[in-house]
Amino acid sequence: MKKKISAFNICSLILTGALLLNGCGQPATTAADSTGSPGGDSDTARTVIRYARGFTIEYHDHYKLLHILNHMGEKVDTLEYLLLRKDAALPPGYPHAQVIRIPVQTMVVMSSMHVALADFAGVADRITGLGSFQYIYSPIVRSNIKAGKLTQVGLDGNLNNELLITMHPGILMASSNPDAGSGKYKTLTDAGIPVVMNAEWLETTPLGRAEWVKLLAALTDREALVDKKFDSVEQAYNSLAQLGAGAKQKPRVIIGMPYKGTWFTPAGESYMSRFLLDAGAVYKWSATRGIGSLSLNFETVAPEALQSDYWLNVGYVDTKKEITAQDERYGSFKPYKTGQLYNYNARVNDIGSNDYWESGGVNPDVVLADMIRILHPELLPDHRLVYYKQLQ
Amino acid sequence: MDKQPPLLQARGLSIGYGSGSRNVCRISGPLDLAIHAGKMICLLGPNGSGKSTLLRTLSGLQPALAGTIEMGAEGGGLSPARLAKQISLVLTEPVRDNSLTVYALVALGRYPHSNWLGILNDADKAMVHQALDATGMTNYAARKMSTLSDGESQKVMLARALAQDTPLMMLDEPTAHLDLPSRIQLMQLLHQLAGTTGKGILVSTHELDLALQVADQVWLLQTGGQIDRGVPEDLVLNGIFSAAFDKEGIHFDMTTGMFRIHPGQLKEIRLEGEGVPAFWTQRALRRKGFSVTGDPTTTLSVRIVLEKEQPVWIMEGKGAGQEFTSLSGLLNALAM
Amino acid sequence: MTNSPSGPLRLTGLLLLLLLVFLLDIAIGSVRIPLKEVLQVIFSAHTDNDTWTYIITQIRIPKAFTAVMAGCGLSVSGLQMQTLFRNPLAEPSMLGITAGASLGVAAIMLAGGNIATLYTIKELGLSGSWMITGAACLGAALIMMLVLSVSGTVKNNVMMLIIGIMIGTITLSIISIWQYFSEPELIKDYLLWTFGSLGGTSGMQLVILGLAIITGLVISFFSCKMLDALLLGENYARSMGVTAKRARFIIICSTSLLAGSITAFCGPIGFVGIAVPHMARLLFSTSNHRILIPGCCLIGTILMLLCDVIAQLPGSNTVLPINIITALVGAPAVIWIILRKNNLRAY
Repeated sequence: MKKKISAFNICSLILTGALLLNGCGQPATTAADSTGSPGGDSDTARTVIRYARGFTIEYHDHYKLLHILNHMGEKVDTLEYLLLRKDAALPPGYPHAQVIRIPVQTMVVMSSMHVALADFAGVADRITGLGSFQYIYSPIVRSNIKAGKLTQVGLDGNLNNELLITMHPGILMASSNPDAGSGKYKTLTDAGIPVVMNAEWLETTPLGRAEWVKLLAALTDREALVDKKFDSVEQAYNSLAQLGAGAKQKPRVIIGMPYKGTWFTPAGESYMSRFLLDAGAVYKWSATRGIGSLSLNFETVAPEALQSDYWLNVGYVDTKKEITAQDERYGSFKPYKTGQLYNYNARVNDIGSNDYWESGGVNPDVVLADMIRILHPELLPDHRLVYYKQLQ
Repeated sequence: MDKQPPLLQARGLSIGYGSGSRNVCRISGPLDLAIHAGKMICLLGPNGSGKSTLLRTLSGLQPALAGTIEMGAEGGGLSPARLAKQISLVLTEPVRDNSLTVYALVALGRYPHSNWLGILNDADKAMVHQALDATGMTNYAARKMSTLSDGESQKVMLARALAQDTPLMMLDEPTAHLDLPSRIQLMQLLHQLAGTTGKGILVSTHELDLALQVADQVWLLQTGGQIDRGVPEDLVLNGIFSAAFDKEGIHFDMTTGMFRIHPGQLKEIRLEGEGVPAFWTQRALRRKGFSVTGDPTTTLSVRIVLEKEQPVWIMEGKGAGQEFTSLSGLLNALAM
Repeated sequence: MTNSPSGPLRLTGLLLLLLLVFLLDIAIGSVRIPLKEVLQVIFSAHTDNDTWTYIITQIRIPKAFTAVMAGCGLSVSGLQMQTLFRNPLAEPSMLGITAGASLGVAAIMLAGGNIATLYTIKELGLSGSWMITGAACLGAALIMMLVLSVSGTVKNNVMMLIIGIMIGTITLSIISIWQYFSEPELIKDYLLWTFGSLGGTSGMQLVILGLAIITGLVISFFSCKMLDALLLGENYARSMGVTAKRARFIIICSTSLLAGSITAFCGPIGFVGIAVPHMARLLFSTSNHRILIPGCCLIGTILMLLCDVIAQLPGSNTVLPINIITALVGAPAVIWIILRKNNLRAY
């Protein structure tokens, strides 16, 4: 039995390989998708994770093994998922793994980033449910919402379990959070709905964050397509980063908007800090520990703000006037006076969703290009800002 | 008699609750009442008859259901601020749950007279001292209210009312929480004040004994709202007093001026004796359920004789005659 | 009764302490600035280092003034509440005014919190923290009117107190519902607001806060005689010419102005309202509001400035929320006061 399958597999592999080498994107994916031959495995490309540290994918004969590192405070838990084709038998030895039948045809996702990941892998159509309809940019998903094909299942705090169980999607994609280990999703997993805990927001590099598209690829058997797309993103990003690193003059940058005396600014090990490094900026707190935000006293950041060259990611404002409306004192900051204020809300749709938080996550090369264009206009004179805009 | 116009004149006054709403409960009225200067009036009556309501209505704490109240020359319908210069109050509970000193509390009585900041001028301070003197609380001036006893606190409340320097003073059961000596002191003081200061004083009280002794006039408010006014002794002699309380199952004894608790009468006994020993022997016998009579045909008798100025009780009619040197001995023998 | 000869001495001592703590609050912060420079900036508004000038004049001094106003406003409104309700534990939040301010803020941040609404509101011309502050004032005013309308019909102050507390509870429940259905980011923003902050007010906002506080304090001081009368309870007060309705009206108005405006600009700050009146009574040995109102201002200011200094965690880069510090300082203070008196009746 095994031998027979091997022979068949090799043939399919060659076939798929040939098609891929052909450079035909679309037909290749369709072929790869429609194969999913009964009992077949290892006939999809195997992807390699290079930047993301939050998950790994192992390819075995008849199944894929997905590990997601669940960061619960100090501890790091590992969540195991068995990705099995339909009708494939459960391999022994994984008592704690959740079983996901692939390729996943329907999914319910909880955040904009998840939508972007699915969009990147070309499977945005398979989203049948969202936590909330409020923050969606993707046109595909929006038209599906209009057509009534999507259901709202409630946000993290009050997930509508009954609705979900009735819908019975292929997976529920949620954001990794400290609660996850404590059985919050037990009702759903008991009912046979696998819950995939995405932790892309914990990645410390922009490429690592974007690389989570490969998770979607593994779930939908689209490794070949996704790998190709990601490779070009990766190349673009890396060459841009070199460009930025090579800049002669590195301007000083401040990030974020203070709130009532506390200024939250990215910590040194966060992906934003990495963006700034790659864009050739000087960021005062680039050497601090932590992958999230630092909550600093206004007084601590103000001296830097008074002398910085650029002010990026200014919060929920659209114009210079709005900044001083928040607090007159911001008008004294150098970037305010010189007009070097840039906010990442250039792509906001009519319902107020900001695409920076959606496709921006999977296009780090474009975001980096924006930042380099801002900080070093002479290095990318022809690039037009996509996610960022200058505040007037 | 009362030549001057009354300090307070109420006409057609109806008192009760719920004025302005649908459930109007009229307790009493229409009444015509007057308080004259220099007179102490005691408002008596059984519980629930509405004494407090009447007092609160007259003093302006509560609206009347109907009728008018006029303050001498000032007329009626006075605002609270103007009323404050006519009537001062002492209520049942002394106010001790704060950190006021005695002086500070009495000084508050000058509220209607002092300036907008509450600063007292010399005249104000003089009134405060007078009030403290009159109530005997001068030495307590620096003490905190919370350190005083009930009796002392009420005297301070009285001093405050005095400091307010109003022609009328109204007191709502001021002795309710006091011990006997304090109660007597307070009632005496009020009587004295009425006489010396010319104020009109209206006291609602349960102290029937004391009231009958000190009041110039008694207002007897009965359950059902009927009010009888008059000199206390008149009310006693014409039986109104007894009648009022008899309804409650309490018997007022006109001879002794006291209320009698009368369990069922057991037996008749004849008492011979005079003076103080006889008075107290009679009370003891009555407590034991005997009906004391002077009927010579009664078999059981007690005779009191004096031997070396000490009373000796001689009981006859129950077995052999016996002598006792104490009442308790007599009573024990009668009980057997 | 006149105070002992130590009265003027005590007053001088307190004023000196006030000056000291005010200076301390300005001299201490995350950035180390030498005392000499600090004094130079204060007296000549100039120093060589522009950054330092900026920090002192734009950040620390406004914050110190905010602390002064918060200290005055909260303690005097607490004093009035304790007198009106004759309750030693009464504080400004009991009428539900602070809850009303929270309601306004939550309405903007949580219920109307999705970006679309914020954008639309911005198109109307309102924006920035004025929106938050305005909403807070509106919320506080709304609750104040509700409480006032009830106060006219209620028979006694205990009923008033209970109704005020219940209104506050209902308001907070509404906020909880909004929180339940909100995104984590918005909840976090709202939570940050509830921690309170003295640092967010400057420029025009400070001026408006100042006007509101001064108005409230003036109203309070003018009613000091009435407050004295209320110490004896509603019946006695009335017999001296003070009507309960009018008293409640004035006190609710001034308390709402004081507590409401501070909550609108700084977020809800607790404990100052309860603790300071007791401290003032203790220190000045009087129940006379003519002395207590200024006394509360003095002590409240000192306390608030002190809490701000502690909240700085001197020298560190972070600052603790002011609410936490006032609780940590205020609660032991209240315990100490109660134990010292050993008799709650004589508060």
